[in-house]
Amino acid sequence: MATTIEVRDLRKRYGRTLAVDRLSFTVAAGRVTGFVGPNGAGKSTTMRMILGLDAPDGGAALVGGRRYATLRTPLCEVGALLDAGAIHPSRRARDHLLWMAHSNGIPRRRVDTVLAMVGLESAARRRGGGFSLGMRQRLGIAAALLGDPPVLMFDEPVNGLDPEGIHWMRGLLRRLADEGRVVFVSSHLMSELEGSADHLIVIGRGRLIADTSVAQLLAAASQDLVVLRTVQRSEAMTALASHGATVAAINRDTVTVRGLPADRIAALLTERQLRFTELAPHRASLEEAYMDLTRDAVEFSTPDTPDASPVATEA
Amino acid sequence: MSQPTGRTGVEQTDRTGADQTFRDAQPSYRTTVRNARDGFGHLLGAEWTKLRSVRSSVWCLLATVLLTVLITPLISASSSTNANEAPHFTDQFTFVHQPMAGDGTVVARVSSQLNSQEWARAGLMIKQNTTAGSPYAAIMVTPRHGVRLQANFNTDIPGPDLGAPRWLRLTRSGAVITGSESTDGTTWHPVGTVRVGALAPTAEIGMFVASPPVLRVTKTSGGSSTSLVLSLGAATFDRVTIQPNAPQQLPGWSELMLNGGAGTKGAPPANVPSDGDGPFTAGDGPFTVHGAGDVAGYGIPSFPLGDDDIVVNSLSGVQLGLLAVIALGVLFAAGEYKTGMIRTTFAATPRRRRVLGAKAIVVGVAVFVAGLVASLIAFYVAQPVLRRHGYQPPAYPHPTLADGTVLRAVIGTALFLAVLAVFSLSVGVILKRSARAIALVVGLVLVPQIVASLVPSLGVANWINRLTPTAGLAIQHTRPRFDYAIAPWGGFAVLCGYAAVALVVAIWLVRRRDA
Amino acid sequence: MTSAAAMRMEWTKLRTVPSTAWSIVALIALTVATGSLLMWSLGTTHCASHCDQDMPQLSLSGVYLAQLAIVVLAALAITSEYDTMMIRTTLAARPRRLTVLGAKAAIVTATVLVTGGIAVLATFVVARGIPVDGYLPLSLDDGATRRAYFGTVAYLGLIALFSVGVGTLVRHTAGAITTMMALLYVAPIIAQLVSDERWRHRIERYAPMSSGLTIQATTHLDRLPIGPWHGLGVLAAYAAAALLLGAIAFLVRDA
Repeated sequence: MATTIEVRDLRKRYGRTLAVDRLSFTVAAGRVTGFVGPNGAGKSTTMRMILGLDAPDGGAALVGGRRYATLRTPLCEVGALLDAGAIHPSRRARDHLLWMAHSNGIPRRRVDTVLAMVGLESAARRRGGGFSLGMRQRLGIAAALLGDPPVLMFDEPVNGLDPEGIHWMRGLLRRLADEGRVVFVSSHLMSELEGSADHLIVIGRGRLIADTSVAQLLAAASQDLVVLRTVQRSEAMTALASHGATVAAINRDTVTVRGLPADRIAALLTERQLRFTELAPHRASLEEAYMDLTRDAVEFSTPDTPDASPVATEA
Repeated sequence: MSQPTGRTGVEQTDRTGADQTFRDAQPSYRTTVRNARDGFGHLLGAEWTKLRSVRSSVWCLLATVLLTVLITPLISASSSTNANEAPHFTDQFTFVHQPMAGDGTVVARVSSQLNSQEWARAGLMIKQNTTAGSPYAAIMVTPRHGVRLQANFNTDIPGPDLGAPRWLRLTRSGAVITGSESTDGTTWHPVGTVRVGALAPTAEIGMFVASPPVLRVTKTSGGSSTSLVLSLGAATFDRVTIQPNAPQQLPGWSELMLNGGAGTKGAPPANVPSDGDGPFTAGDGPFTVHGAGDVAGYGIPSFPLGDDDIVVNSLSGVQLGLLAVIALGVLFAAGEYKTGMIRTTFAATPRRRRVLGAKAIVVGVAVFVAGLVASLIAFYVAQPVLRRHGYQPPAYPHPTLADGTVLRAVIGTALFLAVLAVFSLSVGVILKRSARAIALVVGLVLVPQIVASLVPSLGVANWINRLTPTAGLAIQHTRPRFDYAIAPWGGFAVLCGYAAVALVVAIWLVRRRDA
Repeated sequence: MTSAAAMRMEWTKLRTVPSTAWSIVALIALTVATGSLLMWSLGTTHCASHCDQDMPQLSLSGVYLAQLAIVVLAALAITSEYDTMMIRTTLAARPRRLTVLGAKAAIVTATVLVTGGIAVLATFVVARGIPVDGYLPLSLDDGATRRAYFGTVAYLGLIALFSVGVGTLVRHTAGAITTMMALLYVAPIIAQLVSDERWRHRIERYAPMSSGLTIQATTHLDRLPIGPWHGLGVLAAYAAAALLLGAIAFLVRDA
């Protein structure tokens, strides 16, 4: 059985709020999968259901094809960081990992290994209450790595990390994925995942909006937009428009062009002897792509499949 | 903080870039952790690590011992008794007697006995003289405690657990008195032999009837008081024969009401009817004899020992110590809910029933050990203090752990605390919040004791003490007392019932609700 | 003006947590139900020879349970701020700590006095309706009865102040509540076990609950270990000491 996280038709309701609504996706091994959506989109709820902590009202969440609750040594199959603050303030970091190790019969030396892995060796005998948010995150990640599991889930792991920590975290996620593990990372900020995620699962209001690779999403968001800088703005606009392009002025010397590839534009302008200082195909940032997606999610109660991405969207 | 090293325990593969195509066929990662197991023993280890690694739980265990032990001398020192200043015997009964010189035998059948009190006595006696307190030996039947051979206010030999009608025989051979009983007057079974050293050559011999007073309890505001009410015994004797070894003239029967010792105020008890001289002239009976009182002293079961249960007194420091146990039990559960660590716990062990089982065992065993240390220390700390305050033999024999009931009280105190911890843990799981849970458990364990003492009706007070978890403290009782509402193990069972129900509800809830 | 704003702040905080409502319901329900049940349990058969039960006291014995709710309410009012670290928000909003503590104590006590008053009044109404053979119905015309009922309300208010003081001092919820339970309930239980009358009186005179609740006595006043008003004074002294120590700690310690 391939290592995966598989969510099928998952539903969860809290009182009158529908937190997760017929959500289906599969997280594959060997890549970092970002789990993105605005606050309250249902990310944490979904993760809790995957971990068997909350019971779904419908559907199923499977890890490696099995329900989490049936796992006998779950820490060796799934490592999770849900809430870094969930440590007893007066328990030492080492003891926190030790009880977890005991619960799954994991050898004691593994505790020191993971403490070293996250750089907390020197704080091992300090009590959790005195930890900074960043240290708590590292301790939470150490706990997730304790059983050296093939599946890892991190809920907002870079929250509270300093820039150095964020850099370290990205490297860690990358390495874990490259080792062939399932790495599933939630965030409400797409920018946090830029440069580390390979694949994205975007949800809003408990529904799936996009299940796409980062490359595809970026390509779709960038479309064929070309940015042109020229001092002869109006001439250029007239010339390009006459060849069927959609042209929009951004400021005094910059326009955006749609409908013509960059080399065609260059040829046209050269032909008309119009000077330009810059001609660049636009590369959308992940953030922009994401904003496009989630804006839809917020605006429409039944989001259509966004044009930008080839996705599996639930109606 | 040092820069993380980034080792993950296995070799890294080279990163080929964020846009790489993914190797769907890539073999799944396998954990490098070997020998991971999900044994219950490991779970116990996990919960024990949780318990010992939090300062507040260690403090609670320590406080259980310290509070229990430290308050013990105070409780012991504020009690006192003068029970030993009273006479150590009661010698109050009706004696139909005549003198007999030298050795001989007296035989009679007790054809009927009124069940006036469980320790009412009817039988044959040989006594130094008719002065209260003089040495004696007697064989008797009782309504509830069978045949007994008793002597000198301190010796009690139980015979078969049989009552009237019954043949009794008392034989004197110097200072040695032998008592026997029989169903038919022909086949005799010896009950025992006693030595009455001070017996004069001529002693009084005959039939006696006694019936100890009955304890009556009156409930008053803030407590209860007891009073003794006279009970009147009656028995009929027939086939009475006296066979002295040496030929002698027997003077015939005369009746006497003896009245001496503890609990008597000099005057013979009123309204005991005089059975008169007349009936006793008629050869071998039948004679009907009425009598009240008791012939007993320390060592004879019907004689009341000191009123206080000094073992309870030594161990009642747990009333303070149990607060730390409640806090520990509640926090062991509610603490996880407060910090959100309960999710980590259930993620590590999805089988939640086992988690709760392990938690209950760990907190129960830890508290039992601390409780046993506390109750042993308290027991030994209290003894010298109690002795100084008058709790001495014979009214208060020194309690020792060799005595089963004392051992039960000492170990039972630790068991009580352990079960209370499990109960508190379960309430903590059910309510999730420490404040409410502590208030609820205290409201069930401590407050009923106070309310029960205020209630004017003894029945209601007893039911409060029987039906609340407080009943578990009955396991400390080492002797019967009028205000004990429930038997030791029965009371403990009530507490166990509370703990079991709470634990079942807690398990049902954690399996049902989202973590 | 500033203290009025602080009071408004504290009142908002108190009424917006659900545990307050629960505590108030528990306070009223336990007071009325326990007292009425005990009155009812007397029935008509009890008092044959001597009828000297203290009826007002009996009807008010629900207080022994109900004060648990007050301890929870009052202690949580301060300790929950430490649990959630909201105390920093509070002190950022109102840096004058004594004003904050005073406002908190005042609001909690006022809440307890009002709900305690309702509970005691309801108890009186219900208990008066339960006939007990050999006793006159309860009446507030009787001075001692009046003192018992109104004094009980004051007792509950003092317990609230006491709990706020202990809560401020201990800061930890479970610790504060356990400490209060020990201070209130252990002494009376120990007193029951003590066979020496002098010692029993000594304990009951100086223990906060036993002495405070002498305010409920209406018969056998000569047998009390301490006079009713003096007894309430002992409790007030405990409350004042706890508040004073709490205030000092609150001023000196870092939030």
